[in-house]
Amino acid sequence: MIDISGVNKRYGDVNALTDVAIAVAPGVTGLLGPNGSGKSTLIKALLGLVKSQSGSGTVLGHPWPAKVRTIRDLVGYLPEDDCYIAGLVGIESVAFMAKLSGLPDTEGLRRAHEIMDFCDIGEERYREVEGYSTGMRQKLKFAQALVHDPPLLILDEPTTGLDPDQRHAMLSRIRTLSRDHGKSIILSTHILPDVQSVCDQVIILAGGIVRVQDKLAVLSELEKPTMHVSVLGDPAPLAAKCESEGMEVSTTDDGSLLIAGLVTIDQGDRTSKLWQWAAETDTSIRRYHRAKKSLEQIFVDAALTDPHVANEASDLSFLQSSTSTSSGPSPDKSVGA
Amino acid sequence: MPVHDLGYRGWTGARMSHLMRPLVVARGGISLVWRRRWLRMMIIFSWLPILLFGVGIFMFEYSATEPGWGQVLGNLLAFQLQRPDLALSISADHAGSRHDVWATLILTFFRVPQLFAMVLLVGLIAPMLISYDLRSKAYLMYFSRPLSPTQYIIGKSAVLWFFLSTITAIPALILYLVGVFLSPDLSVIGETWDIPFRILGATVVLVVPTTALALCYSSFTSESRYATFSWFATWAMGFIAYSVLTYSGARMRGGPPQRPRGPRGRGRPRFEDFDAAQYENMASNMPPGLADIDRDKWRLLSPYETLGKVEGWVFGIDPTPGSVWPSIIMLIAITVGGLWIVRHRIMARLSV
Repeated sequence: MIDISGVNKRYGDVNALTDVAIAVAPGVTGLLGPNGSGKSTLIKALLGLVKSQSGSGTVLGHPWPAKVRTIRDLVGYLPEDDCYIAGLVGIESVAFMAKLSGLPDTEGLRRAHEIMDFCDIGEERYREVEGYSTGMRQKLKFAQALVHDPPLLILDEPTTGLDPDQRHAMLSRIRTLSRDHGKSIILSTHILPDVQSVCDQVIILAGGIVRVQDKLAVLSELEKPTMHVSVLGDPAPLAAKCESEGMEVSTTDDGSLLIAGLVTIDQGDRTSKLWQWAAETDTSIRRYHRAKKSLEQIFVDAALTDPHVANEASDLSFLQSSTSTSSGPSPDKSVGA
Repeated sequence: MPVHDLGYRGWTGARMSHLMRPLVVARGGISLVWRRRWLRMMIIFSWLPILLFGVGIFMFEYSATEPGWGQVLGNLLAFQLQRPDLALSISADHAGSRHDVWATLILTFFRVPQLFAMVLLVGLIAPMLISYDLRSKAYLMYFSRPLSPTQYIIGKSAVLWFFLSTITAIPALILYLVGVFLSPDLSVIGETWDIPFRILGATVVLVVPTTALALCYSSFTSESRYATFSWFATWAMGFIAYSVLTYSGARMRGGPPQRPRGPRGRGRPRFEDFDAAQYENMASNMPPGLADIDRDKWRLLSPYETLGKVEGWVFGIDPTPGSVWPSIIMLIAITVGGLWIVRHRIMARLSV
């Protein structure tokens, strides 16, 4: 879908993008990176809003950057900035964007209503955009990005300013568009749980360099396949039993066990062995599943490879406010240690 | 959930050509501006001078049979519009002077009421066009679509072209038609066929550089009031500077200009009391300062005078001394420079 390489962009003495090469497959792709890592510059370069000093490739099969206006016809962009056309009411604003993308007048208006229904914008569509709340403006920008039915959506912080219900609804829409309507989506965000919940693959930028780029399922694999086992009461007897059976075992902060080596055993045998060892040590197992690396861990590992980011801990401060849904190991506890 | 919510559905219709996109920008801008009541009122009021100039053409056409009307019109041409030669030719060669009288009246319509209306209208509309987009970052919305900066500028310019045409070209063309219908017969069309084309030419001269200048100011700031102030200041300061420099130059060289008097040196003058030789004497008796002053040099300071010079040239009646080319070059420079700055400012915003 997107395959570009050798992208360089400098602002004066600052390298915003250095030899960036990305290959984005259909599906939802998370674009992550600390502040100033070059995410917005990369998006703007893709859309031809800024000119890169070098770089070439294809976007949706069209040569980039030579055919950037053709590409823009096929892309829906939700900017991070609070932007709107002053004086227009919501429905006019979406219909205007439809017309700018080449939809005829009547069709543009009909389509605008349809998309605003999809985005759950009700009677507010007849109010001036300047009076919209932040959340409403996000929904409006989403509707504007979607109104011309583009095969590729680039969403820059789409859930910023949304309350939990609206955020959940927005992510649900993104999933629907990708899964049911075959849209490819690039999701640039700081909210890692959003990426974890909807993205198939991840690109992590730091210091203008692509640090990580792969499928999320691959990235979240631990170096040694590991089971995460939660027990009721003291986990030590079960841990000792597993070690005696040749497994590598460590304990997490919440008292759960991380058992490496168990995954390599056949699925049926694995379960029966675990239940057998638990019975022998008189331990009750509450829950067990395959342990995965959290996105937060992947992100921190990637971002810290940039010395500038590593020296400025404040750049990662936003991570403290984001809640991880993963139950993977914490960064300071390695499996089998 | 709305009753008619069908969920997401794709769209596979045919899209309009890329060349039509500036039209979308223009229509959006026109629709937005047209909602303002004061603007609609202003456009209505700016059409009122048609009545006055229509009466002028009517008086000319019937002056052959009603000499009193010819005197009134002659005085107007001789002393208010500084065209005594034309005033004299009304009675001497009525049919031969038709073209010049019509053109003079329509040029005056352009130069006086419509130019002031234009300054006011552009000053109130233009700052909104780009300043608001800069303030609300709307340029990100525009340029994430298949729209180039040039198309955006054309679209925004077209908003001004439309409104300026409604107060200049359209009423002037209607004035011409009024003249045709008020004439004794339709043979006047044969004598004045070129005037509609001159009207269109003068409209281009008026609209293009002023639009470029206004958009240039609008692109300088996200605070539209500063753009408005700069616009009005340009016209006011230019006019004042021109007036002061030419008038004070004349005073230093030979005293203030003399008002024309009647033949006995008192009372209101009547144009038929003078003959051509007397008009030439009046011109030669002007203070030396006014007679030989190089007004063309100072004219370039004033957009009003510069536009007037070129518009007069377009209508084929340019009674002022000096070549028209400096004024034409100045207008071209304003247009090209203004548009280049607008484009540069927009591109600079996108790079941030």
